Amino acid sequence: MLPLSLLKTAQGHAVLVELKTGETYNGHMVMCDTWMNIHLREVICTSKDGDRFWRMPEAYIRGNTIKYIRVPDEVIDKVQEENFRRDEKRPASGGRGRGRGGAFGGRGEGGRGGPEGGRGGRGV
Amino acid sequence: MELLQEPSLPGAALAEELDKKLLIQLRDGRKILGILRSFDQFANLVLEGAIERIIVGEQYGDIPLGLQLIRGENVVLLGEVDPAHEVPRGLTQISEAAIRQAQKAEKELNKLKATLRSRMDFLDLE
Repeated sequence: MLPLSLLKTAQGHAVLVELKTGETYNGHMVMCDTWMNIHLREVICTSKDGDRFWRMPEAYIRGNTIKYIRVPDEVIDKVQEENFRRDEKRPASGGRGRGRGGAFGGRGEGGRGGPEGGRGGRGV
Repeated sequence: MELLQEPSLPGAALAEELDKKLLIQLRDGRKILGILRSFDQFANLVLEGAIERIIVGEQYGDIPLGLQLIRGENVVLLGEVDPAHEVPRGLTQISEAAIRQAQKAEKELNKLKATLRSRMDFLDLE
């Protein structure tokens, strides 16, 4: 389970984001992407010293300004569940490699998914 | 002490630390302890059961943080914690509120020292 997939799973949960500047943003995460950009709703922003507060309906935070993100503990159980569900769907992707087999010699697909489809295309 | 095998690539080193309790030092000086659950090519880390340990003088305090995702660029260094030597020797543990107060007091003291020092600068003492 990669860190960014944990973040994807945490969508919809309340998170705390601290920026490199020290400000903290508490809110419900609507969306996140591969660059860690985050869209939050119902946000409370606390200044670095903890003395000033702002409330805003939405916030969009650029990923490279983030120091860390705190996520509720129940999200880690949710990730195990999603991994389990994804593994159950896996057997269907074995036949995909045959189309590419001619171009790359089947080597690309053979290692990753089901080996049967990729290797068959080489010239049997 | 056993001889540890050198990992061939720097990227492989973090995989050996999975599910171990680590101490992470961040660029802002914070020290976070937690169990490493996952990482990626940018060294973004997922820590479970994370706590922040603040040390002021002879006292320290632990602040529970829970599940944390740390962006890799903010990490200075990290290392495995020996469970036998986890609590620093010679330090007493105090409550969260007390350590925060101590930290604030230390920050104020440092700020005061810095202003006094900058006022003395014109004297050009060697």
